[in-house]
Amino acid sequence: MKYALFLGCKIPSALPAYEASSRAVLAHFGVTLVDLEFNCCGYPARNFNRYAFAAAAARNLALAERAGLDILTPCMCCFGTLRHAIRFLGEDAELRSRVSEALAAEGYAWSGKTEVEHLLTVLARKIGVDSLAAAVRSPRTGLRVAAQYGCHALRPGNVTRFDNPMAPTMFETLIRAAGATPVDWPRRLDCCGDPLHQANTPLSGRMTRAKIADALESGAEVICTACPHCHLRFDAVQAGSSDASIRTLLYTQLLGLAMGLPADFLGL
Amino acid sequence: MTGARRDSCDVAVIGAGMAGMATALFAAERGLSCIQVGNPGGILFASGLLDLFGVHPVAERRLWRSPYAAIAALAREQSDHPLARIDASSIRTAFEIFVAALGAAGLRYAPLGDRNRSVLTSIGTIKTTFGVPLSMVAGVDALEARPPCLLVDFRGLREFNARQIAESLGHRWPDLRHRRIEFPGTEAAPELYAAHLARALESRQTRERTIALVKPLLGDALAVGFPAVLGLARASEVHAAFEAGLEMPVFEIPTMPTSVPGLRLLGALETAVSARGVRRRHQASVRALAFDREAGTAALDVEGVPGVERVVARAVVLATGRFTGRGLTADRGQVRESILGIPVLQPASREAWHQRDFLDPSGHAVNRAGLAIDDAWRPLDADGKPVWPRLFAVGSILAHQDWMRSKCGSGLAISTAWAAMEQVARQLRGTGAG
Amino acid sequence: MSPALFQTALYASLALCSLGLVWRVSAWFRVRIGPDARTVALSQRVAALLRGGALALFSRRVFQLAGAVFLDLLLQRRLFANEKLRWLGHLLILTGFTLLLLMHALAAIVTAKLFQGYQPTLDPYLFLRNLSGAMVITGVGLLLFGRWRRQTGLPQARRPMDMAFVALLGFVLVSGFLLEAHKIASPRAFYRMSDQFIGSTDAGRLTPLRAVWASEFGVAFDDLKLPIDPRLLEQGRELHRSACASCHTKPVSAFVSYPMARVLAPVTDLLDTGRADAWLLYLHVFACFLGLAVLPFTLMFHLVAVPISLLVNAAAPNRDFSLAGRASRRALALDACVRCGICDLHCSVAPLARYLGNLGLLPAHKLQATAALAGGRLLGCEDVALRAADGAFLCTDCGRCTAHCPVGLDLEDLWEAGRGDLAAAGLPSPAQWVQAHPALAWAESLERGPAEHVDSGPDDLLAPLSADRRSFSRCVQCQTCTNVCPVVAHSMDSNHGIDLTPQKVMNLLRLGLRDLTLGSRMVWDCATCYQCQENCPAGVRVADIMCELRALGVRRLGAVRSLRESS
Ligand SMILES: Cc1cc2nc3c(=O)[nH]c(=O)nc-3n(C[C@H](O)[C@H](O)[C@H](O)COP(=O)(O)OP(=O)(O)OC[C@H]3O[C@@H](n4cnc5c(N)ncnc54)[C@H](O)[C@@H]3O)c2cc1C
Ligand code: SF4
Ligand code: SF4
Ligand code: SF4
Ligand code: SF4
Repeated sequence: MKYALFLGCKIPSALPAYEASSRAVLAHFGVTLVDLEFNCCGYPARNFNRYAFAAAAARNLALAERAGLDILTPCMCCFGTLRHAIRFLGEDAELRSRVSEALAAEGYAWSGKTEVEHLLTVLARKIGVDSLAAAVRSPRTGLRVAAQYGCHALRPGNVTRFDNPMAPTMFETLIRAAGATPVDWPRRLDCCGDPLHQANTPLSGRMTRAKIADALESGAEVICTACPHCHLRFDAVQAGSSDASIRTLLYTQLLGLAMGLPADFLGL
Repeated sequence: MTGARRDSCDVAVIGAGMAGMATALFAAERGLSCIQVGNPGGILFASGLLDLFGVHPVAERRLWRSPYAAIAALAREQSDHPLARIDASSIRTAFEIFVAALGAAGLRYAPLGDRNRSVLTSIGTIKTTFGVPLSMVAGVDALEARPPCLLVDFRGLREFNARQIAESLGHRWPDLRHRRIEFPGTEAAPELYAAHLARALESRQTRERTIALVKPLLGDALAVGFPAVLGLARASEVHAAFEAGLEMPVFEIPTMPTSVPGLRLLGALETAVSARGVRRRHQASVRALAFDREAGTAALDVEGVPGVERVVARAVVLATGRFTGRGLTADRGQVRESILGIPVLQPASREAWHQRDFLDPSGHAVNRAGLAIDDAWRPLDADGKPVWPRLFAVGSILAHQDWMRSKCGSGLAISTAWAAMEQVARQLRGTGAG
Repeated sequence: MSPALFQTALYASLALCSLGLVWRVSAWFRVRIGPDARTVALSQRVAALLRGGALALFSRRVFQLAGAVFLDLLLQRRLFANEKLRWLGHLLILTGFTLLLLMHALAAIVTAKLFQGYQPTLDPYLFLRNLSGAMVITGVGLLLFGRWRRQTGLPQARRPMDMAFVALLGFVLVSGFLLEAHKIASPRAFYRMSDQFIGSTDAGRLTPLRAVWASEFGVAFDDLKLPIDPRLLEQGRELHRSACASCHTKPVSAFVSYPMARVLAPVTDLLDTGRADAWLLYLHVFACFLGLAVLPFTLMFHLVAVPISLLVNAAAPNRDFSLAGRASRRALALDACVRCGICDLHCSVAPLARYLGNLGLLPAHKLQATAALAGGRLLGCEDVALRAADGAFLCTDCGRCTAHCPVGLDLEDLWEAGRGDLAAAGLPSPAQWVQAHPALAWAESLERGPAEHVDSGPDDLLAPLSADRRSFSRCVQCQTCTNVCPVVAHSMDSNHGIDLTPQKVMNLLRLGLRDLTLGSRMVWDCATCYQCQENCPAGVRVADIMCELRALGVRRLGAVRSLRESS
């Protein structure tokens, strides 16, 4: 299995542990990751200029296509954005032709071959939960874990095809594979608040805190994430508050620990 | 990526209203692999109350205590009504399984029994229904016994007005009182929405603050009614906590649709089918349906993103509803089935669609338009033969019923889904595997 | 050249240079970038530097500092990691320039003191001078070639001053080589020397010597025919050994100026008559002085700023600077940036810059805008300022610019500070400037605004769904989108609240009142969580439409923004 690794903007600058743990875990399952110099996925331009957004996303797809690879990204926002771009380019001929022109000016082309996968979809569907479970050496037995699904990977389900967007099960299955116990929490599918952090900090904070309180009330010991934005938002909100707090753990860290990988490989 | 994706299954269910969800659920229960396409249909508009069969004959607006007696009467007078084709024990089984699945998904119902019950509505009228969520049962009892009772509503929640209910029932229920309170933490908000209150009440803190606000208002009340905002995903816990906190029976009254009970029902059904491995296609629709008679399979073109997904199925169930569900379309005075153009039983001309009096109690002919089926729940073509041996139809798209006036929406959906699925399983066994 | 004039000019330019340096260096403590920088006083910033310097020098960090001097400063390892060609060019310039400075410009005080018998016309000095000059010229050539070869289609950031300085540098080098070439070829120079060292200018008497100098030293006597009789040469060599050899080696080692001298030979007479040696010397020397005088205001100031910046980095490797330290560091960054454009090459949003046609997104350009804003020059130019603002908030803080900057600048900190300054100057992110006014006020402005402002292009590419009735006309106003919207939910407990709900936004679209939605809180506070779209029973793409309305709002409201804000 070989993928172009799309780290996005957040992971290298703010959450290197996610990169380290993803590489460690994926390497164990024989996944080869190729580093290409991708650009911004396009997300920031979505609220600004749809054409620029689609072109930036398509440039990434074209880069992967030139290398003959599918994309694997650990970031849910990048994942959703690239999948959205594929939708928009697929349904809007005018947009497609303008984007192709822009790509051609740089010598790129995207014919639509590139698949975009999220880290979790690769773990759950390409590697398979059974293989994950088989690699577990020290299961996290009894650890009560709240799965943070992440809007941009989950919805809209017809675009992201991540899991059933109304009643997903993938993340819980993955948590079980690591030997831990998934917790049912009413706000598990809610927005973490990160997208509003710049535009409306108080509102964003209320959204994040509501989730944290809910996870705690539901008996979780850990919120498990698979997106740098969610992860950092939980950490940032908790860092500046005296309220009860909950540990955050990246899924790759949870699985890595269960697989017995050394903590420093996982950025812990 | 832009190339068509493909998938295959035993049963493809088209539609995700009550009928579609019940079909998918029953298919999965029978161990059939299932792909289901459709947006949340009428479920969002539902009140959580599961009607089985309440009114018959429609023209007389006669209410029945026992739905099964009503169906038996129906079977004698109108044998082509879909419910008349199903025996009572099948209906019982279907409802039991359906309600058990909802309960497992967190939405608990009171034991069904054999009788219809009367429930308060948000406009102060009384509705006859069959399956009642646990959180509403105390209301049924209260309505019967009419003890001193308090109805609470929240400032800013326009969907529910306790005073209006109390006033319209006052003459029959003198000890029905009402109080308005401020929902904790919303003092500055001009307008509230039930769904948001429901989610807020899932936090213990908000719950306890609300209970503390209500407690001093109880007076001599022996039961308390609230708008249906007591939790969403955690409804049972929230309801139990209110009863414990207020130390008396607590009941919910459904608010105007779209309401919290509708969202609960949607959530529970999605959870139930997802847990049983049904592959859902949300926000998607079937654009075309073709049959390969030699291979004995049907091919569905699912309008997906981007492009089209090709689903190959051994059996197909149409649960696309009527006009609001978009299963039927009206086109130049003609009603058509919208995917295949299957003939629709309908009034001869547009003029005959409605009675002269729009409020005529016997309803309108167009409200009984729909697909004609054979004994195996297969829609019939112009020659009266099944369109395809393994194409079935369930729910409100069927002809000869007026579910709104008969108060049989869910009953029709659940019972026909069960009955049709029996036929599907039989047919699939007939073709070999399955 | 009269020594007095030379001295005066030298001291004058040195004085100017020093003043300039003091002014420029003081800017590191004066210039305020970022709202937080406004809270620290100049004295605190100076103190922070002294404290930081002292801590670094008297701790184990001193080894890191030494390492930094060696690796980062002398070997330029950050540049090496980025672009080998540029690194080579830069190294050539740096070595060549240093050699020229010490061995040539400061010959009297450096080289002559170190090496006995130093004469500029002797090897290896003659050769080395040529080599140094050639290195600088090649280096500049490589840098220019590197710039050209990059050809990203996006213009690089540059200051006019820098380009002028490169021209001046070229001029100094070319005039120097010309001067040397001319002196080699000049009979006039020959006679001046013979007068001085042999006491004769008599052409006849000097013929043997002239023969040697013509054939072996490249002097262009117009009355001597080559080849020359070997006996005459032998005679001349005798004289040469006794009178000239101690100060002159054969100029073939001047591998640049000697060939130039040969080329100049035919016109040497003319140049001699025109006293070219004198004015070339004036040009060369005064160009150098000019360069010296303006140096602090040119690219060359990086010679001061970059080492200091690198040392500061090395002194605090974890970037744990105090606020005062950060404030100074930002100002320093403006001077240390060499406009190499390497950051632009790796910037995550560089493609967006291309697609939007806005260079303001590129880090090197952003740095320039930050400098302009700090210097009070940005806001005068509204168009540039608006583009800079777009650039500021479209930055993803990916840190790639910082990672690649050969000078090691902490650019993310600069961007963060710059965003604050822009916001304070009335140029915040769209979410903020739009929400400064209620939706109704914006709609009014749109109505009153001049048509050409408001409708500056087709909406379809920006907002195809919201322009197409079919996408929202099936909305049945069921309120589901509002019921599942977390933004509506979490606005319950706030007195800010929201003005519309998703359902009402869809209704306004149905009523053809799209302009009323563009400035609405709901639209701008939407978290793109897609709950609405996923749950809509009618298949309305609510969240997609919300995104579109924001993109459309940026453009349409942007067009009437000045109207709105002036009212
Ligand atoms: C206002 C209102 C109030 C109600 N109140 C109650 C109540 O109090 N009690 C009660 O028991 N029930 C209630 N109901 C719900 C009622 O039971 C059901 O709506 C009714 O039975 C119809 O169900 P259905 O599944 O046949 O069709 P619908 O609910 O109409 O569902 C049709 C489904 O088909 C899908 N569809 C249509 N065409 C296609 C296509 N081409 N491809 C894919 N999918 C397609 C639609 O997306 C939808 O999912 C209420 C409904 C409404 C509208
Ligand atoms: S931090 Fe900003 S300016 Fe720097 S490379 Fe990333 S996007 Fe570009
Ligand atoms: S910021 Fe750094 S990389 Fe960018 S132009 Fe300046 S010196 Fe070069
Ligand atoms: S959920 Fe859909 S149909 Fe309902 S109000 Fe919102 S947009 Fe309209
Ligand atoms: S996408 Fe926006 S409008 Fe829709 S539910 Fe989420 S926050 Fe609300």
